[in-house]
Amino acid sequence: MNLTQPESLKTDLTTWIIGPYHGSLPAPMRLSLSLDGEMISDCHVETGFLHRGLEKSCELHSWKAAVAYSDHLDPECAIFGELVLCLAVEQLSELEVPERAQSIRVILSELARISGHLSFMVRMAKAVGSETIIHYLLRDRERILDLFELLTGARFSLNFLRFGGVSADVTDGFIERVLEVCELIRIRMKEYNDLFTFNFGFLKRTAQVVPISKRLVLASGMTGPNARASGIELDVRKKFPYSGYSKLDFSVPVGRGDSGILGDVHDRFLIRLREITESMEILKQLLDVVPSGEYLNRKFKRDFVVPAGEAYARVESSRGLLGCHVVSDGGPTPSRVQFRTPTVANLMAIPQVVRGIRIEDLPVVLASLDLGIAEADR
Amino acid sequence: MMTSENSWIVAWSNALGFPEGLPQWLYAVGALISVFVFVVVPSGGLMSYLERKLAADLQARVGPNRTGPAGLLQPIADLFKLLQKESRVDWSWKENLWLSVHTMALYSTLAVLPLGSMAVLVNTEMSVFLPFWSALVLALGTMLLGLSQNSVPGWFGGIRVAAQTLAGSFPALISLLCTGVRSGSFRWSALAESQGFSPWEWTVFANPFQMVAFSVFVMSGLVLLAIPPLDGGLSMSDIHGGVSSHLYGRRLSLFQFGRFYGFFFWSVITVVLFLGAWDLPAQVTVSLKAGGANQVLALLELIWLLLKTFGLMLLIVWVAKVNSRSRVDQITDFTWKVLSPFSLFALVGASLWAGWRAI
Repeated sequence: MNLTQPESLKTDLTTWIIGPYHGSLPAPMRLSLSLDGEMISDCHVETGFLHRGLEKSCELHSWKAAVAYSDHLDPECAIFGELVLCLAVEQLSELEVPERAQSIRVILSELARISGHLSFMVRMAKAVGSETIIHYLLRDRERILDLFELLTGARFSLNFLRFGGVSADVTDGFIERVLEVCELIRIRMKEYNDLFTFNFGFLKRTAQVVPISKRLVLASGMTGPNARASGIELDVRKKFPYSGYSKLDFSVPVGRGDSGILGDVHDRFLIRLREITESMEILKQLLDVVPSGEYLNRKFKRDFVVPAGEAYARVESSRGLLGCHVVSDGGPTPSRVQFRTPTVANLMAIPQVVRGIRIEDLPVVLASLDLGIAEADR
Repeated sequence: MMTSENSWIVAWSNALGFPEGLPQWLYAVGALISVFVFVVVPSGGLMSYLERKLAADLQARVGPNRTGPAGLLQPIADLFKLLQKESRVDWSWKENLWLSVHTMALYSTLAVLPLGSMAVLVNTEMSVFLPFWSALVLALGTMLLGLSQNSVPGWFGGIRVAAQTLAGSFPALISLLCTGVRSGSFRWSALAESQGFSPWEWTVFANPFQMVAFSVFVMSGLVLLAIPPLDGGLSMSDIHGGVSSHLYGRRLSLFQFGRFYGFFFWSVITVVLFLGAWDLPAQVTVSLKAGGANQVLALLELIWLLLKTFGLMLLIVWVAKVNSRSRVDQITDFTWKVLSPFSLFALVGASLWAGWRAI
């Protein structure tokens, strides 16, 4: 509900079907809108345009290949898909992960989180029509992709994690480069704040626009930054720590309603900005003491077999709680691989979120929900 | 229409070798075409280049640098690329009609475009108001162009343009009156004569009320003609292009050049009304006139005017590139509730100031 506008313009309803490909949509999906003047009175979301059959593909190939498939779950932050699959498989096969490998995994996760949040801000900037900052953000994200390339050889589909560790040790100078990038982004925060957080035009488009209530968050199962923006303190890294997050000292930003209403678009934006700062804090702590030792559990061999059974693991991806359920029958291929992706819950909430808002706010709201349609359609 | 002030046209055409004693309408048409071809079109190319280079600098990019030296020929390359695109077959007569109305309304202002003391075609007490008529017809053309598109982006774009134009025309008109209060006339020549070369003689710095009027005039012009950053009516992200979402190729280049021209003519008018018009230092004008070098004077005036115009335009582009785009309802709210009261305040203040000075 938009509190600055009257609820209805009392005109006949118009139907407008947007998509599956349209500039105001962050990803391929189809929205069937009922419009009352310029207000959205009803909305139906149709997805599945990016379905690639990832889960089925995992069943058709070896366990090792499943890692490569799971990093296509969300092309923007590939590491989270890999990580959650590895965690589930390691849990099932009781495979220890060396501490050094855990640190490398967390470094990659936090870098991916920063990069994912920068991409989120790019989409926000596009939605509000702010052109300059898009280039600033992409320039800084390039630096993080460079780091991925330095470590793994790839910028997007990393395919870097292995069951029981990672596929290679950190290269020379990698840690120094990560620190450099952190310092750079810390300095650039001022630019982001000037062009976004405190910018009058940006506040006009986002402050007090389309708040999401705690109730709706709970009802739709939203997690991650979107839930935290609405005041729900849920972070997998704190609640179900994995990969050594319990040893790290960091706080989880929660929405404060800085612009007047808790959980509005501006809160959802701000929470990501603050998470970038937290992620850099985590990175600094980690990089100070990267434990020495193996980067891969040597029990992981070419003929690695996952014992029969099932396991569930979850990680905090840049969009929210990412879960993975694996079932093994002891054979060479997974019997079932199932993902619980945060975007699905966000998509479910869209009809209720957008009811009663102006259609001019629609792109902004969709961008603020940070929809990763690739992981929802998978 | 042809008065003694317009002898400049005859002088130019004679200097270019055309026979004397041609009918007056031919002179007028020739003047319009040459203004368009020699002033407006090159300005459009230059501005699009400068805008892209400036934006690239602001955005940590390189900008056009392949076509010609430092990418200078990029506007020409873009134009030819758009011109050679094939047109769509199912183009309706309505869309043709409204695009023509849109274009004609725009370029009808060429007749009143003030480009120098010796290059003012229509110089009457009504000259200043003619662009408003064009802007309203322009909005009508744009709105109907959107409505005839048979698509939701077109409808919304059309309606939003109409809402914006209606909102913007009131404060623009009121703040325009302030300049007349100072100069005592709405003739372009009188408005220019009331100012001078130095910024301290410009209307904008004459008194605080003129300053307010200037700010209101610039902003309401952006609203009236839907120029970034207040271009919500034409290019909100939800309608993705709105009125122009169906246009491409030649029609798109026509539409986009029209939008540039709207921006350009508004900036020219702003410079003439508030920012010292084409006034050169008095001794330069006098000595050039005494020496009979009228063409040189006209050129210098034109260049000085265009320099200030480009400066103003680039300033607006700078603001537009850095800031977010406002929603249309926010724009109209702002125009009705903020700009309009300020324009009335400026008018009352400027009138009192003028009256006090007269006593």
